Amino acid sequence: MRTLRTRALVAFDRTGVAGALVSQGLGARRLRAFAQAPLPAGALSPSPFEANLADPTAVRAALSQVRDALAPGATGACLLLPAGVARIVLMEVPSGTEAEGYARFRLASSLPYSAAEAVVDLMPVGPGRVVAAAVRRSVVQEYERAAEAAGWRQSRLDLAPLAALTGLLRESTGAARTVDVILGDAAVTLSAHAEGQLRAYRTRWRDAGPGEAAWLAAEAHRTADLAGEGTAPRLRVVGPGASGFVQAWTAAGLSASPGWMLEGHGLPVAAAELSCLGGMVG
Amino acid sequence: MRDFSSRPRARRLEPREWAWLAVGALAVLLSAGTAWDAWRDNRAAVVRVATVRAERDAAGARLRALESQVRRDSMGNQAWLTLEAPPPRVVADLAELLPPEVRLEQLSLKYGTRLEVEMTVSARDAAAYDLFLERLGASPRFGEVSPGEENRAGEVKAQVRAAYREEDAR
Repeated sequence: MRTLRTRALVAFDRTGVAGALVSQGLGARRLRAFAQAPLPAGALSPSPFEANLADPTAVRAALSQVRDALAPGATGACLLLPAGVARIVLMEVPSGTEAEGYARFRLASSLPYSAAEAVVDLMPVGPGRVVAAAVRRSVVQEYERAAEAAGWRQSRLDLAPLAALTGLLRESTGAARTVDVILGDAAVTLSAHAEGQLRAYRTRWRDAGPGEAAWLAAEAHRTADLAGEGTAPRLRVVGPGASGFVQAWTAAGLSASPGWMLEGHGLPVAAAELSCLGGMVG
Repeated sequence: MRDFSSRPRARRLEPREWAWLAVGALAVLLSAGTAWDAWRDNRAAVVRVATVRAERDAAGARLRALESQVRRDSMGNQAWLTLEAPPPRVVADLAELLPPEVRLEQLSLKYGTRLEVEMTVSARDAAAYDLFLERLGASPRFGEVSPGEENRAGEVKAQVRAAYREEDAR
């Protein structure tokens, strides 16, 4: 298949840096290469207002390692910041209102820093509805500086939960209610949609431990109820630990499946374990 | 495309602004199309003007050639007439037509494409003048007789124009 465009994804999380080269063919997107490099404990801690990179040198080394493995050349990279760095809200925008300005106004009161320091962008999810996100500029710049120091040419910067959600929303489950569980190393995002419309969006810090599956299932059901009463929701899971959750929830009688799968081989883990792959389609 | 980069971003256009942009682009395209049509029409007009000018110049040249030819013919004709119808002969022909009571007071000969004769005659009475006109009109030498001003109070004094017939003269 002829390649029209190749782009690179670079995803950060608490445990490591992952990168992928994705090409757009005439029929479908292809994952051409994948690489990841672990980070020492404490080197990166996602936070919406404090410095994230406690060990910039280690992060830069991991970025260089991934870059050497992928050899992207001059291809621009989309940096994907981990869950937990942004304030993300689902909101309705009044008609005739400039969406970005309205989102900035709405988010300003809930930010733990000055609104002037916020980088705000939107993800349209239907007529008059957007998922708006604000990230502190100083936090963004930390990641940008690290990537640049490692030789990456940045094309844009996105949030891993939004990239994953974009990918998931392209595929309908056919169920009356669906909850997408987007896992990060530090935080988890739950989004509920019904009748083809995103109805609820929540972010929670993860509470890793033996009871996390049950806690997360309860959170998923609470999120589904925000979308409206109905039958048991269908759960789709992506991100680190996704396979384990799917297995546990299926065993518990819940309707759960990986958020996506990859045709063919070449990944060290199941594709659903990598939330950054949402950036392939997002 | 969503972008949370810290670098300055171009402002994203609203749907209404996109619509205006599309309208503007359409207007530019229409203007370009109109300008192209106008340019093409202008080119065609320039070509037409050049053709008309060339035709005019050619016609002018033909006209000048014809005028030159006519001038040459006229001068030739005049020369021929002068040769074939010298004044003494014309006077002689005219004298043959004059009744005794009519005398020729003034005679003017104009040699051109034809020989025009203009004369002033005096007659003792109107009957003599009328006889002269009758003879002049009946003469094969003269044609297109045109009596001019005349005074019939007693002695008649009148101007008469006629053309000397070159066909007959030849």
